[in-house]
Formats: sequence, C-alpha cells, structure tokens
Amino acid sequence: MSTEIDTELAVLLDVGSAWAKASIIGRVRGRWRLVTHVAQPTAWGAAELRTAILERMTRAVDPRLAGRLPDLLASANRIECHTARRPGRLAVVAVSRELSGSAARRAAEAAGWQIVEHVTLDDGRSLADRLARLQAVETDAWLVAGGFDGVRSPRAMEAAALVASARRRGGAPVVWAGSDVLAEDVRDLFEPDTVGTVANPRPDARRDDAAPLRDHLQRLLRSVVAREDETHLSAIAMPRAVGVLAAGSGLRVLAVDIGARTGISALAEPDGQVVSRIHGGGGLSGLGAVPGAASRVSRLAGDAGDEAAVADLLQTLRARPASLPLTVEELSATHVAARVQLAALLEDASLGPLDLVIGAGATISCAPTPAQSARILVEGVRPLGVTQLAIDPAALLGPLGSLPDDEIGEGTALLAEDLLVPLGTSVVCRGGDPGRVAMRITVHRPGWPPIAPIELRTGQLQVVPLGRGQEAELTIEPGDGVSLGATRRSPRIQARATGGAVGLILDARGVPIVLPKRGDDRRAVQAGWRDTLGREGPPGVERVA
Amino acid sequence: MSVVHRIRLPVGAAPMVEVGHRVEPAEVLATRRPAGPGETLPVSVRLQCSPDEAAEHLRVLPGSTLDAGTVLARRGDREVRVGHACLFLAYDRDDGTALIAPLLGSEPIVGHVRGEVTEVDPDGIEIRVGGALVSGVGGSGNAVHGQLRVVVHEPAEELRAGAIDVSATGRILVGGSRASAETLTRARAMGVAGIVLGGVLDKELRDFEATQRRRRQVGGPDASFAVLLVEGFGKVGLDPALFAWFRANDGKLASLFGDSARLYVYDADPPPARRALPRPGDRVIAHRRPFAGMTGELVRVLDGSHAAPSGVAARAGLVRFDDGLTAIVALANLEATEPAPSG
Repeated sequence: MSTEIDTELAVLLDVGSAWAKASIIGRVRGRWRLVTHVAQPTAWGAAELRTAILERMTRAVDPRLAGRLPDLLASANRIECHTARRPGRLAVVAVSRELSGSAARRAAEAAGWQIVEHVTLDDGRSLADRLARLQAVETDAWLVAGGFDGVRSPRAMEAAALVASARRRGGAPVVWAGSDVLAEDVRDLFEPDTVGTVANPRPDARRDDAAPLRDHLQRLLRSVVAREDETHLSAIAMPRAVGVLAAGSGLRVLAVDIGARTGISALAEPDGQVVSRIHGGGGLSGLGAVPGAASRVSRLAGDAGDEAAVADLLQTLRARPASLPLTVEELSATHVAARVQLAALLEDASLGPLDLVIGAGATISCAPTPAQSARILVEGVRPLGVTQLAIDPAALLGPLGSLPDDEIGEGTALLAEDLLVPLGTSVVCRGGDPGRVAMRITVHRPGWPPIAPIELRTGQLQVVPLGRGQEAELTIEPGDGVSLGATRRSPRIQARATGGAVGLILDARGVPIVLPKRGDDRRAVQAGWRDTLGREGPPGVERVA
Repeated sequence: MSVVHRIRLPVGAAPMVEVGHRVEPAEVLATRRPAGPGETLPVSVRLQCSPDEAAEHLRVLPGSTLDAGTVLARRGDREVRVGHACLFLAYDRDDGTALIAPLLGSEPIVGHVRGEVTEVDPDGIEIRVGGALVSGVGGSGNAVHGQLRVVVHEPAEELRAGAIDVSATGRILVGGSRASAETLTRARAMGVAGIVLGGVLDKELRDFEATQRRRRQVGGPDASFAVLLVEGFGKVGLDPALFAWFRANDGKLASLFGDSARLYVYDADPPPARRALPRPGDRVIAHRRPFAGMTGELVRVLDGSHAAPSGVAARAGLVRFDDGLTAIVALANLEATEPAPSG
C-alpha cells in the first residue's frame, strides 16, 4: 500500500545571454534542498528546459511523486533573473587617449556599457574621419571627457563640439565628464536637458577618480536600456544576494561572474554594503576584440596552442557563445580567458583583504574539476592573505537576489547547505626574493597527525589536503619583504582555514604572477602549478610545485 | 521570400527615395556632405581685438553647421564670415582662431540592395529585399554587390590565390574552408567585390585588415571589398548542403555586408535552414574543435551527461559524420541543418 506524499517546489531560473540555468528546490523532510539543476543553451527554449527538468526530477525524486511532477512543476513558485536584453551602446569622445580617454573608457566599461565608438583628438585619425565615424554611429548615449578642472581647455570644447555636430538633434543623452569650468559652455551646445554633468574622472594630472562617473553611467544605463524591473537583472540581483550573504556571515565577500557577454563583480562588506561593477565587454566574448589578447592567453595558458589557434578560439567564443570546449586545449584557453577578464574586471578595484571569494557563471563554477575553478579564482583575483574560496555551481545567487529585500535573507538561509560549494582556503602573499622562503606555515588540523612547518619559497604553489567541513589553524610567518596584504604587528599571523573540494592552497607566486621569459621554462612552471592544483593526492600528503 | 534590410543614414544625410520606390543595388538612396580636413580661420585678427575678447563676439556655438557666408563673429562693423558651408568646431582663446571643417561636395550613399523601400526616416531607410538571406558568424568590410561565383570544387577546399583571375572582377566569390591573407589581398587587387568562406583564420583576417588600413593611410584606392564567414573561425568547410545551394545559385546577383555578416542572394530559394537542438535522425553540422565544420547525422541523444575529453560534461549525442567517423559531440556544439525548401 503506497502512502500519499506531498511536497512543495520552487524553480530558480537564471537566464543568461548564452545559457539558461534552472535549479529546482523542494521541501525534503521539512527542509528546503536543491533537488536538481539543469543548464542548457538559452536558444533551446523554455519547453526544452521544462522537459529536461522533468527528466532529471523523475530520476531524483521519490517515485511516488513521479506522476504528479508536471503539475507540481507547473504550480511551483518561479524566481527568475536574467541578463539585460541588449547591451547599452556608448560613444566616447575625449581629448587624449592616455588620460581623459582612458579614464572615461574604463569607467564606462566598468559601468556595463558597450563602447561602440571611441574617438580621441590624438587618435591619429583625421578630423574628417572622426566626424564621419561619429555621424554614422548608432548609440544610446554619448560620453565626452577632457580638460583638467579649473582649466578652460579649447581641446575639451572641441571634443564636445564634435559630438554636437555629429549627434542627431533630440537624440541620445550626453554626459559631460570633463573640466568643471566648461560644464555650462558644453550644456549650451545642446538642446535643454540633454547634457548630464558628472565629476571629472581626471581632475588633474595626478588624480584619477572614476567612481562618480561610473556610478552616473550605471544609473544612466538602467534608465536608458534596462527599463524592465531591474531587480530581476542578474547584474543587480547577484550583488543583492551577495550583500545579504556578507551581512549574514559578517564576512567581506567578493563574488565574480564571467558570463558570455558581461563580467560582474560584487564586493560586499560585513554590514551588507555592496559595490558592484558590470563590465560591458567583460564576458568571454569580449576578449576577441582586445588587441593582443590571443597572444596573452596563449602565453598564460602554456597548453592552449599557438597564438593563431587561440585567436580563432576567442572569436569563436564571440560567434558561438553557447558552444562548449571539447578539447583540453580549448578548455585551457577558455579558462585563461576567464582569468584575464577577471583581472581586467578588478583592475581598478581596491579589494583589500577578503574573507570569501565566490565564483559564479558556468566557466568558473562549472569547470570540470574544483581545482580548475579554484585556479581561475586564485589567479584571476589574486586575493592577498587568507581567503575562503567557493563557487555557485547551481547558479542560485542571481535568482535569490531577485527576491524582495526581506526575502533574500530567508532564501539564502533556507538553502544554506546547497547555495555554495566550498573549494577551500587560499593563502596568497606577494613580495620576497626568488628562491628564498616567502612563508613558513604551520597547519594544525584537529584529529590529524601534526606535520612539520611548510616552507614555501617565492614562486611556489602548494596544496595541503583539507576536506569540506574541516578546519585548520594556521600560523604564518612571512619572510623578509613578504606581505599578506594587511599590516601586521607580529612576525606571526594566526588564521583559520576551512576546507573544501581542493583544500588549503598556499601560494607564494606573487601579485601579479611573474612567469619565466623562456617559453620552455614557462611551460614547465605552468605544468607544475597545474599538476599541483589538479593532482588527487593521498590524504595528508602535500603537493608542491 | 523577403527580408527587411535597414540602411542607417549618417547625420546630415538627405534621402533621395520614397516609400514604395523600387531600388537596384547600385542606386543612390541618399546623399551626404562629408566634412573635409579641418581649417583654422583667424577671428581676433579680423576683429582687431584680443583673442579673449574675440571669444565674446562669436555669434554661433561650436558644433553648429554653418551655411556659406554665415557670420561667425561680429564686433561693431567688423565681422568674420565663413567662406563656405562648414562645421564650426572650436575657438582657440590662445591664438584667436576658429577651427572649422568645410563640408565637401555631395557624396552618394549607395544601398547595395535590390528591393522596395518600405520606410524612410532621418535615421535610415528600410528596404524589403526579395531574396534569400545567408547569415554568417563574422565578416569584414563594407557593403558590396555582384554576381555570385563558386570558385572551389568542394566545400572543404581552400580558396587559393591562383583560383582568382580577371574574370572574378566585380564578383562575389564563394570559397571553401579558408583563404589566406595573400589570397584575400590578391582578390582585392583583382577587383573582386567580396568572398564568402566557411572559415578563415582570425589572424589572417586581421593581417589582411591591417594591410588594407595601411593602404588607406598612404592614400591607396579605397575600393570596396567584403568577406563573410559562414561557419566559424579557423579552417572550417562550408556545410555541403549550403555549398550545393550556392552552386545552384551561381551567377545570381547578391549583396554582401561584411560588417554585419549578411549575404542576400536575389531570385533564390531560401538556403538550408539551421536549428539549435537537433533531434535523432537530423542532419547536423558540428562547431568548434575537433569537429568544426564536419557534417553528419545525429544517431541518438545519450542519456544524462557525457564528459568530453576536456572534462566538460554536457548533454551529448552520437554523430555519424559523413567521412565515416562516429563520435560523441555535445549537443550545444551541433546545429540541425534542414534541407532547402524545393522551389
């Protein structure tokens, strides 16, 4: 005689520009748990996603529920976030490529805009060519920058006049981020209410403060492009969830997501305050347009093939973003591309010491092995000090962050056991002389036989097994000239490490990582690091490279 | 079959067609007056005052378009007029000069498409094109038109420089799996309008583009030339069914838009269609290494996920490729190719 049972389900959906991820959570023995997770190319459509979910659930749930699954799924609460339907297009006009142009471009990209035209008065083009380009561009907004504050720079006015002559009357809004004393003159060049003025990102030759411009452009992007309910946008939702996680745990958390089109970072303080960035061209598909990227990826990967092969791959990531790397070489290049984009995403961010780094997005969180996920995070972020690493493989953070404010905390608490998969803890230092001891680390693991202090030399990487749920006390003695980020009063640093799928990663490769110049040496070093992170060692045996 | 093609008009362009107008590829749809090289115009000297004071006497704002003879600045009975239509771009308070960009003579904006005008607005012109559309994954160059000509014998054959001769002038050539930078350079030099390829090495395409940029910079002829990639980057052959379709339409007029990766072929039946998520029994084409451009039949979809040699686990299917190889391929890397509807 079968007993009638019942359950409740909810569908957490994260629809990206290339892949859609669906997680089914259900009440299991009184607790909400992740039942199954499905990811597929977005182009396959909602019907196929539903079919795949039902197939997975049939295998995962109590057989007595099998016949009712379609009804249960149809009545399930649906919590969804998605990537913006289209990127915001911005034309940037500035006086100099190195100063105002570079600051404006970086701020715009960090705010999530796609730069469709970038003109500077020293870009080597003729005036006629610049005008022709600007007159032909299709854009959602214009950004004009140039001149130091307090200076009436004629070149800055010329940049603004270029836009005034190339812009269609009544067309896209204009942002002036140049000399403060020219703001009124620039406003006069356009019809009323066209120009928004924001603090100069290069107020003088020495200062560079792009934050006000970035914030202004983020708001403008939302008003111009993302007219839909913005809490359901991944770029808004994911940081909201991270903020709640940080507030709930009292940790300083950085979450990063390298998607197909955009890159997102969210730095959350223990009080829940979040600073997030969306890099418009920061996804995997953006690297194909970056000059020299193929050479860089080929060099950093070591095992991804020559520059020409990597160049083809980077273009393929743009042309067919939903396709998958099937060969070892393509996977390696894809992971390095993610690391490069991650480093670019965080280039201007002053991260400071982090307690937890979370990797989201399929490339990082669904890498074939946890070691590969950890490597992308450790080498892309370079978190100085002692930092926990985790991934969001079920893509739950985005949908949870799209809930109303008062429900996000409840959602993350209910799914605490399934939300993140811990990879372990990294200890990253910088400085020190090559070949000399960078850190001496004593690892105390309750229940494990004591091991001798580990001496890690500059340039070395070592992994100490520390499983999920395990903790260790660390005593770290940095060598001369070596820093773990925070200022210290004692020659010894005490820290706590938590375990995970990879373990305790001791990393004295510096920030940034310096690679040997000779190709053979470089490949040998990279292979050593890869093996160290990827090798499955017997319990208690350290792996070192 | 028809598709709507939009031609964006630059600011200041004047449309010369109306809704309902039937246009040919070489027809001028609008005209524009491009700006010429910048010129400086002495202002303070002519007004006989200091550069700073002259700034107060400017009568127009930077960014304005001025007709010939417009007063740029006036001080008492002294004035500075522009000699020809121009854009006023800046006034330099250091030397008292104005930067202007004269507007040159009218230049035609050619549509490069055949069809009927369905909408005209200041931003652009929409044309309903009566023809088949082939969309690619990448491309390069401007809009061109010409007769299609298939110049390789097999879809996987590389287009060699030697295959291009004077008879290819003004044509859009259909190559196979690749063309080197040397071949592209020769094609352009021979007056070829454009090339359609299964794939091309990104590095070679960039090398070719860099050559063209340098050529323009030193004042070389600015002939139009476009490249369309249909399947992917690298050495990737055309889908045999699509190749057969090209052969069936050899000699027909076509319009190629390299930058937007589009090709219209006039008076042609629709090309073989593509569909994401193939089903067992479908003809498929694979993307990405190691099967890029290979075609075959999807025999069955495997239960659960399958890990590729890279370790990436995903839904996958067993594919029997046309060359006899049978392999398991992630479904995300396959597209179903559907036969062209018979005309």
